[in-house]
Amino acid sequence: MAIIHVSNLKKSFGNLDVLKGVSFEVEKNEVVAVIGPSGSGKSTMLRSLVHLEQVNGGSIRIQDDYLVKDGAYAGSQELKRITAKMGMVFQHFNLFPHLTVQENLELAPKLVKGESDEKIRQRSNGLLEKVGLSDKAGVYPAKLSGGQKQRVAIARALMMQPDIMLFDEPTSALDPELTGEVLQVIKQLAQEHMTMMVVTHEMGFAKEVASKIMFMDNGEVIEAGTPEQLFTNPQFERTRAFLNRALK
Amino acid sequence: MNLEYIINITKPMLEGAQMTILLFLIAIVLSIPLGFLITVMAKSSIKWLAALANAYIYVMRGTPLLLQLLFFCFGLPLLPFVGEYLVMDRFVAACVGFILNYAAYFAEIFRGGLLAIDKGQYEAAQVLGFSRYQTTTRIILPQMFRVALPAVSNEAITLVKDTALLYAVAVPELLHFAQTAVNRDFTIVPFFIAAIIYLLMTLVLTAFFKWIEKRLTFE
Repeated sequence: MAIIHVSNLKKSFGNLDVLKGVSFEVEKNEVVAVIGPSGSGKSTMLRSLVHLEQVNGGSIRIQDDYLVKDGAYAGSQELKRITAKMGMVFQHFNLFPHLTVQENLELAPKLVKGESDEKIRQRSNGLLEKVGLSDKAGVYPAKLSGGQKQRVAIARALMMQPDIMLFDEPTSALDPELTGEVLQVIKQLAQEHMTMMVVTHEMGFAKEVASKIMFMDNGEVIEAGTPEQLFTNPQFERTRAFLNRALK
Repeated sequence: MNLEYIINITKPMLEGAQMTILLFLIAIVLSIPLGFLITVMAKSSIKWLAALANAYIYVMRGTPLLLQLLFFCFGLPLLPFVGEYLVMDRFVAACVGFILNYAAYFAEIFRGGLLAIDKGQYEAAQVLGFSRYQTTTRIILPQMFRVALPAVSNEAITLVKDTALLYAVAVPELLHFAQTAVNRDFTIVPFFIAAIIYLLMTLVLTAFFKWIEKRLTFE
């Protein structure tokens, strides 16, 4: 059974239809790369999953629970419980600038989950080591490079022990030489079988790490398949045209 | 002109400076939280509350502080029916005027501080599961105060100097004693001494805010 089940998702900003009936499923342990031109609705779709965008119609089911069913949202307690299963990493990191790296990691488990300090510290130390930033624990985000900030943001999301990780263009705001270190961390998560959706423009990364590629254009999912299927034998002209431009 | 004379006229001026400092402390301690409350009201989704807060800011910033002080000290008691219950000690009335006026300025400063916070901060907090209250107190307010700090510092220094308006409502303070000495002794010296005392007060205040700013630099 799918861990994420989305059907006929619709969203418009005023007269502009951003999502025109998007449907897809993500299985447990799958890594889905979402590709497509700017303005195709990729980010809006991803943000809808954690209720950062309010959709106008359709359904989102996470495991057995409906976040939104035929356009009707669950109650606020239920929304909170469902979205807590997902961690989100943003293009612009959104670290809390007034907190040190370690405080960024530890504030949410402390306030939201009410875990013991000891348990939290153990986990934050482990995650900082995992993203290679143990030596930056006491540093404020202003002192970090973009790549380091994004690795902290990933660790911060993992602190909440989500079942699913969502990445909204995690390397788009980075200098090219810094994307590698962030992609490496995501790759490692994939090897540990974390269920992930990654909106990305990094075609090489998508090809290498994703188990499924989903191509979106103009508010619709045009096609989805394994990287081999999609990159070597796309079924639709729109996909082909996009790949030709993107892979050049 | 001798040292004894200078000491003699400085003494009452320093006593007057106590009044200046007392007014400053009362006004700053009460107008900052009040200003913050008005910011929250102005940001409220309840329409009439927001309109009320904005009207308040408009009136208090749009009229002279001196007019407001005269209004509270000498105007209120002239109101029909209720006036006789509104007779306050002049110093108390002046404090009320200062607090209400400065609260409007602080409200605008805090509003600017809130505008400076990226919406990504709210989104990150939401996704991590923070409640609205937790987001406000742990994420937004600390950043807002940091952004607003230089403007708050500026406003506080203005307040020190504005205390001289007490002179106009005949509450004896620093400037009052300086002016008295000038008239009595026909010398400009008391004005210089008054200026030096004001400068010392603003110097201490500037150093204090520099210290806070340094402590709150997140680097």
